[in-house]
Amino acid sequence: MSATAPAVPPASAGGTPPAPPPPGAPAGADTPRRRAQRRRRLVAALFLLPALLLLGALVVYPILFSIGRSLFDASGTRFVGADNYVEMFRDPSTLKAIRNTTIWVVITPAVLTGLGLILAVLTEKIRWATAFKLLMFMPMAISFLAAGIIFRITYEQDPERGVLNAVAVGVHDVFADRPAYPGARAREDAGETPVTKDADGSYGTAADLTPGSTVSLGIVGVPPKEVPADAEPAAPAPKAGDGVLAGTVHLDFVPGGGGEPGRIDSGERGLPGMTVQAVRDGKVVGETTTAADGSFRLTGLADGSYAVRLPASNFAEPYGGVSWLGPALVTPAIIAAYLWVWTGFAMVLIGAGLAAMPRDVLEAARMDGASEWQIFRSITVPLLAPVLTVVFVTQVINVMKVFDLVYIIAPGPVLQEANVLAVQMWLVSFGGGNNQGLGSAIGVLLLLLVVPAMIFNIRRFRRSQS
Amino acid sequence: MHRTTGSTRPTRRPRRRSAATAGAAAALLLSLTATACGGDATTASDDQKLKGETITVAGVWTGVEQKNFKKVMDAFSEKTGAEMKFVSTGDNVSTVVGSKIQGGNAPDVVFVPQVGVLEQFAEKGWLKPLSKEVDKLAGDNFAPVWKEYGTVDGTFYGLYFKASHKSTVWYSPEAFEQAGVTPPKDYDEMLEVGRTLSDSGLAAFSVAGEAGWPLTDWFENVYLSQAGPEMYDKLAAHEIPWTDPSVVKALTTLGELFGDKELVEGGGSGALNTDFPESVEKVFGSDPKAGMVYEGDFVAGLISGQFGKKVGEDAKFFPFPAVDGGKPPVVGGGDAAVVLDEGKNANAGMEFVEFLATPEAARVWAEAGGFLSPNEALDLNAYQDETTRETAKSLVEAGDTVRFDMSDQAPAAFGGTQGAGEWKILQDFLRDPSDPKATAEELEAAAAKAWKKS
Amino acid sequence: MTSHDTVAKGTVTQPPAPAAADAGAGSSSGSPTRRSVASRLTRWLSRGVVQAFLAVIALIWLTPALGLFLSSLRTEEANSTSGWWTALTGPSQLSIDNYTALLENSGITQALWNTVLISVPTTVAVVVIAALAGYAFAWLEFPGRDWIFLLVVGLLVVPVQVGLLPVAEMFGALGLFGTIPGVVLFHVAYGLPFAIFLLRNYFAEIPREMLEAARMDGGGEWRIFTRLVLPVGRPAVASLAIFQFLWVWNDMLVALIFADSDAQPLTVALQSEMRQFGSNIEILAPGAFLSLTVPLLVFFAFQKHFVQGVMAGSVK
Repeated sequence: MSATAPAVPPASAGGTPPAPPPPGAPAGADTPRRRAQRRRRLVAALFLLPALLLLGALVVYPILFSIGRSLFDASGTRFVGADNYVEMFRDPSTLKAIRNTTIWVVITPAVLTGLGLILAVLTEKIRWATAFKLLMFMPMAISFLAAGIIFRITYEQDPERGVLNAVAVGVHDVFADRPAYPGARAREDAGETPVTKDADGSYGTAADLTPGSTVSLGIVGVPPKEVPADAEPAAPAPKAGDGVLAGTVHLDFVPGGGGEPGRIDSGERGLPGMTVQAVRDGKVVGETTTAADGSFRLTGLADGSYAVRLPASNFAEPYGGVSWLGPALVTPAIIAAYLWVWTGFAMVLIGAGLAAMPRDVLEAARMDGASEWQIFRSITVPLLAPVLTVVFVTQVINVMKVFDLVYIIAPGPVLQEANVLAVQMWLVSFGGGNNQGLGSAIGVLLLLLVVPAMIFNIRRFRRSQS
Repeated sequence: MHRTTGSTRPTRRPRRRSAATAGAAAALLLSLTATACGGDATTASDDQKLKGETITVAGVWTGVEQKNFKKVMDAFSEKTGAEMKFVSTGDNVSTVVGSKIQGGNAPDVVFVPQVGVLEQFAEKGWLKPLSKEVDKLAGDNFAPVWKEYGTVDGTFYGLYFKASHKSTVWYSPEAFEQAGVTPPKDYDEMLEVGRTLSDSGLAAFSVAGEAGWPLTDWFENVYLSQAGPEMYDKLAAHEIPWTDPSVVKALTTLGELFGDKELVEGGGSGALNTDFPESVEKVFGSDPKAGMVYEGDFVAGLISGQFGKKVGEDAKFFPFPAVDGGKPPVVGGGDAAVVLDEGKNANAGMEFVEFLATPEAARVWAEAGGFLSPNEALDLNAYQDETTRETAKSLVEAGDTVRFDMSDQAPAAFGGTQGAGEWKILQDFLRDPSDPKATAEELEAAAAKAWKKS
Repeated sequence: MTSHDTVAKGTVTQPPAPAAADAGAGSSSGSPTRRSVASRLTRWLSRGVVQAFLAVIALIWLTPALGLFLSSLRTEEANSTSGWWTALTGPSQLSIDNYTALLENSGITQALWNTVLISVPTTVAVVVIAALAGYAFAWLEFPGRDWIFLLVVGLLVVPVQVGLLPVAEMFGALGLFGTIPGVVLFHVAYGLPFAIFLLRNYFAEIPREMLEAARMDGGGEWRIFTRLVLPVGRPAVASLAIFQFLWVWNDMLVALIFADSDAQPLTVALQSEMRQFGSNIEILAPGAFLSLTVPLLVFFAFQKHFVQGVMAGSVK
């Protein structure tokens, strides 16, 4: 535990201040002694002067000033009482910041402490513990800015560039087929057999086709380079026989323009590999895929009327992965980045606590046949409680003030969604808002939020001194 | 190298210049090499009346822009014998100039990049009214609108020397040819062209939604053309609320484009992941995904500087088309030269501003490239390439209908803050443009708050 | 491990391992020998699971950092068209061009130098001022000492946010706003509570006899401070210095507000590129890597002090 000595003030008596002059000494009579005392006070004052001057001018005075300033309006000329504090809970973006800070405080320290505890316990069981600890602790050394950039790269939306989405898409594609023509669409309301788009993204003709008839379905929005190399020029389907619906699916666009929508013009190519279905009374009764020239034949159809449908699976946009930094997930995503930075800290601190635990208690429990889980729950955790509290409290304080990570990782359009108090304070007072009254009020709110931690620290310190 | 300027600029006050200048700088370097031999145009004058005086000029320019501006200063010192010194202010013009004034070290001439800053300076009493000579030159050579933007409370303080043109839609001629379309004449036709482009397999527009400010520019162009300059001025000054029917109408018109997945590359959410240079890259990069990108004349710098395409061949522009039978909009902006009262050589500084009002001064920079002048007396042949010439022509021809960027005139909390105010609300609108009325209400709420504070 | 080997080889003298494991797990009435083999196997298995789990965690922790490093070595073109992991199989895309460009970028080099100009003086000032005060709180007598120290303990957790506006205003009036000395002063003030706390507690553990002896020898307080207290307190001073240095080196918020464009450190210079993240990655990635090399060097060089410093800072 020696490593934490400064944080958890030593309980030893070594810290007690030197005793006052022995009571037996005649006060006032001993001039050299008095002079020495006065000189010592003078020395003390000199030793303390720079520190107290700076603390007074740049920390204590600003606290008082901020409290006062928070009672004035944006320009600082008009006394507005508690208006800024009321405004804080009325202004949607500040409210959002308060809400997000609450999420941060509720979730992050608990998860971090838990994760740190689990990893610290598990790390005891491996031989490469030192290397592991080193790796986990490394992010502590780097700036939140660098960490933020690291995670912007990681969370990149484009699966071609962002590693997380590359994994997400890879996993997804194992379970789903890739569509033949992602993003393409049928040309609606054109040609002899108009198609309409259904709610599910498929395109279908009206249900009035009888076997023997032919259709041509025009598709647009296929980038030239995505047209398969083996695609042949499209041709109108020849007359179909009994029980057959035939037709052509073609790219209804001539490079360079021209051509009539809905018709197979010269230069237009068929689209192979497109799934085509015959639908009767809402049920799929036949399915085929198009040939190289885009032609298809749906055979074996009984008499009746059918619709020809191009199911949505032909056109589905490829799965683009998860929108990590979208409005919904941005705060969890930033919290994950925060965990990346701080887990090592929790783990090493708790690990130090573990190392200092009385081995004989554990051994005795093992002898008694207690399972690892029982030992963990009824011995390890209670004994570690003080360390866990320190980690937890530290993180609560830290998380309330989190600024850099949010400011760096959240892209501009979702900055509001990811907003937290420290960022809002900056935005309101410096980053364009220019409302120092409200800014001061937010600063004071942050201060109020850490007061419990302040009391915790003072009490812990006094206990250690007594 | 084009990064040099960008990386040192703080974003405390996010401003679109950073991106613009970064790209333009590189473009300038290219054009510089072409014109380096013919630069010595100014004839030495025998009138060396300012010999021994030093004029200090402060401006936001860095890199190649600064270098080219120094040519203008050199021309002046050759003419008058004055010694010229340039101080770069970085992005924070008002802070830097303010602290220099307090420190008794005020520059004589300052270039202010925004109308708001000009007003702020005038209200603080830092500015000297421009002389009768400048007034006369400005009256003769500039459309009155430029003088108006340089005037605060009836006094003419700022001479717009350098202008920008923010009503240019850049397109890839190759994509247009592939789709068989030609530049549109009006807004509806532009959407039609967009749909045909989309039929050809390429998205119509790439929109820089992540940046925010391009969205305000989109809106301003539509609004200026649809509602007209008078309404535009009123809205810019917040004399009419954003809930005005004209705003809702403009948003509806814009929403027609923003809400159409065929027209916007990646749809709304894809556009929100696209920053400004990326939006240009999506049209002019190695793997084109869209056919058009709208933004100001500075896009040219990015196209040639960063993506190695030839402006005028691989990339062309058409003026932002008219909306609903209005006039085609010309949204502009610029850097205005002001003279500081506290400058040690303010009188010599005034002479310099007078020089800046002449076509002679504009010609020096126009020949160096990366520059547009609102000066009507400048021969368009001074511009080194066809594209710049066309932009300049469109700017000058627009005359009095040019309007300054509205978001630049608004308090920063509304018109210039990442993730807040107009930027943020229009970003939300891009994601879901289904309710223009609600968007207008949000805009009004944010605007009311920002104007109240300022 | 060894027991497993024997089992796996299927030595004739022993029953096949899987059967044993099944039996052991399935019934509680197995013979003692069988049971011990089974429990050893489960223990081995669970150790394997732990190893695998921690290996996965290590991989998860390493991947993002590797992403930054590889991205920083790829061209903008490569970064905008493919993922950094493609460099693992195609190392030919890697080059140090981004770094060369970065070091030729005067804005970045100036910012790097500013970072040094801010963090080194801050560290020295904090250590000196806090050591003086820490000694006074530990060993000098003066009225109200304990109460003042409690105040310092209370200030430990004061968020810098409270100070930003008032100090900005104050610095503006003093002409310090925007300058490096202004940034340094702010950092020093907000670093002091922790520094004093740490050093006072450490100094207080110096045996009283040592100090009494030194005082008897007629050493002045200054002499005692420099000759006795500082050398004895060196470990704490080292931890503090490292911790403080890294804290300031990595700071962005304070500099974002107090440094103007001539005084801005690397973090601020880089964050100004963030708003065009996708397009600026060839500056951001190597810039971030550059900014973290110094902390990492410090981390590996002074691991022990660093861990102590950070953990001591846990009250912050």
